[in-house]
Amino acid sequence: MDYGKKDLADALAAQYVAGTLRGAARRRFETLTPSHPALRSAVAGWQARLMPLTTVLADEAPPARTWARIEQRLWPVLATAVADAASTSGLQRWWQDLGLWRFASGLATAAALGLAVLVANPDPQAPPVVIVLQATEAGGPVGVGLATTLVASVSGDGRSLVARPLQPVALATGRVLELWAVPPAGAPRSLGLISAAGATVVRRDKLPKTLLDARNTAALAVSVEPPGGSPTGTPTGPVVFAGKLQL
Amino acid sequence: MNTATPTPTPVADWTQRSRDLAQLLSRSALGDRAAFKQLYDQTSGHLFAVLLRIQRDRNLAEDLLQEVYVSAWRAAGNFDALRAQPLTWLTHIARNKAIDSLRRAQAQPRLESVHHDSDDDDRPGLDQRLVDESPGPAALLERASNARQLGQCMEGLSAQQRQSVALAFFDGLSHAEVAAQLRQPLGTVKSWVRRALATLKGCLERAAQGDAPLGT
Repeated sequence: MDYGKKDLADALAAQYVAGTLRGAARRRFETLTPSHPALRSAVAGWQARLMPLTTVLADEAPPARTWARIEQRLWPVLATAVADAASTSGLQRWWQDLGLWRFASGLATAAALGLAVLVANPDPQAPPVVIVLQATEAGGPVGVGLATTLVASVSGDGRSLVARPLQPVALATGRVLELWAVPPAGAPRSLGLISAAGATVVRRDKLPKTLLDARNTAALAVSVEPPGGSPTGTPTGPVVFAGKLQL
Repeated sequence: MNTATPTPTPVADWTQRSRDLAQLLSRSALGDRAAFKQLYDQTSGHLFAVLLRIQRDRNLAEDLLQEVYVSAWRAAGNFDALRAQPLTWLTHIARNKAIDSLRRAQAQPRLESVHHDSDDDDRPGLDQRLVDESPGPAALLERASNARQLGQCMEGLSAQQRQSVALAFFDGLSHAEVAAQLRQPLGTVKSWVRRALATLKGCLERAAQGDAPLGT
């Protein structure tokens, strides 16, 4: 039998993906693959052919602790930050500063009615709740610049949220905006990263079911964070927008 | 012999689920942890099932699952939608980890391989495998057969070819282990697997070119 080079590559890729290529041969193959386009494309072909077989396996729920361990391995700082937060609980944090909310809500009330028409209404059944987030004093020096307002529109059932700055926010390179739901007591909960330039639809599964319940959400806030969002699970950068929830 | 470049499903033909997963993967590549958590929530059940099939020790499989997602987070930037669908990509990572874990286990000295010692953290012996209540590889293949084109092509294999491929693919058995389980010479099993894969490929390529197998 005459194995052309391509046929050999394909036969090896088949055994590799099927799992029967073992030991030193498997390791050798894995070392060679990245730099050989023919091998790479043969492997991709066999993956596409054989992987659908695995879809017949019934899902097996992993134990809940697995995700916590993955987080710990990927972002070990998170675990220490939680410990730090516990040990410094005596310190007042920014989101417990009432003055901030008074400042924000005074401006917000005036702006809210006029802005409702600007935002998409994702739920035609119930009127959306519009939360106006004003630039905080911290928003000035960090380069948020001219953008003075950010609007968050929550559908009447609280199950979808669209956030958008009214003008693009000028951020330093490598900084992102993160949106937070701030409860009356306790730490803010991240609703994810939002665009500095346009509308961001916050994924439904990221929203707490009781977002529009005043007992659970006192305000929304936006902080400036490193790429990927706050590494600690609570805001680390300056809070540049804040707005009280008014129902 | 026709060795046309294999063509993974074009993105335009992906299911909504594949598109969603691809989006979560690309957001993960940009450092979005929340997206990665969603990816985990939506795929870990499947990957854990794939791992457990090959690595039957639940504790080891759980460790492997952690490794799969640690690798996936770090390699998310390498995911290439032109080459693979997201679940295929993830499943491949999982299968590789599982197969490698068997290799490590086999590198440990083993006193015997058929009877399962209680203090043996290696995979269960073959006798255990046979009394296992989870569906056998052949039964899984039957289920796959009901599902898709691949199944129709599987039917074109001889029973022995099919069984060899199923044991190797689902349970991660090596050629030698398949041979032991089927009580056949190693060379025979190797050629069954090789021919089965070649037949499968030919069948799938013909199907992709339009003259799909009969019977709808």
